Amino acid sequence: MVNKTYGIDEHVGELLSGYLDGELTQQQRQRVEIHCDACAECKTNLKELQALQESIGKARLSEIDQDVWRERMDNVTVRTTRGIGWLLILGGILAAMGIGVYEFVIDSSLGLVEKLIAGAIYGGLVVLFFSVLRQRLIERKTDKYKDVEI
Amino acid sequence: MNINEMRQELVQHSGGAHALAIQILGNVDDAADAVQDALVTALTRPGAYDDKKGQLKPWFLRVVRNRCFDLLRRRRSSDMPVEELVDTAANPEQALDITQRDQALKLALASISTEQRQIIVLRDYLGLTYAEIADVLSIPQGTVMSRLHRARLALREVLKGYGE
Repeated sequence: MVNKTYGIDEHVGELLSGYLDGELTQQQRQRVEIHCDACAECKTNLKELQALQESIGKARLSEIDQDVWRERMDNVTVRTTRGIGWLLILGGILAAMGIGVYEFVIDSSLGLVEKLIAGAIYGGLVVLFFSVLRQRLIERKTDKYKDVEI
Repeated sequence: MNINEMRQELVQHSGGAHALAIQILGNVDDAADAVQDALVTALTRPGAYDDKKGQLKPWFLRVVRNRCFDLLRRRRSSDMPVEELVDTAANPEQALDITQRDQALKLALASISTEQRQIIVLRDYLGLTYAEIADVLSIPQGTVMSRLHRARLALREVLKGYGE
């Protein structure tokens, strides 16, 4: 709420907007009404601003209706639960791999050379897997034709 | 407020939030993405909204606005061609439904500053009070009236130029 005061002959300026929006004190409202009765310029300004406000209120500035937003919101829920699912699966796989590696390292039936060879093979496979996965993810993100149906 | 009540209310506010996002981002699709991201934030962290501190509508609009500015920073440019604010998503059939008055208004909005567009949409399209506008825009409540008045005068002048 603005407490700015205006002289009796001074144009009411921004108070016109406050008046339209119902944001003035009773004293300020009366000040605007008295001034507009005597000032054709401010009276015209008030009418024009009121017409502008009404036209904005009636305009359709967004073309997406509520059903679409409801659908999108359902998708948010689906995406969130799916994310949790993937997180659990990946967590389980990583835990299983960790246990496997640990068992492999402490296994006394295999020699150091055999462990190094097996470790290199499995390590190479893991590196290749993540390399291909990374490449695919980058392509998926940057491919501008991904939504084009042939 | 429980999550179902929140969902119902967010659906009602999403269209208005989209209108605000369009005014900031200048692009219908990016604006829809911003609102979608804000919905994800609101629904995955419903505790972030405290109904004792105010209404859901201004809170959600603030989340959408912040998301828009994140997208603008990522885009590294807030410059936008005027025509992008005017129904880029509208197909010919939709365009028939849009009145000439709406088109002129959208063009005029695109001609004033982003700050002015936001404050006009928040008040005259979304019906927020001055206190709520100050909250959404993070500005002192005492400056809302003068900023809004200047924005309205600027919009009126542009519309007069179109022969409204």
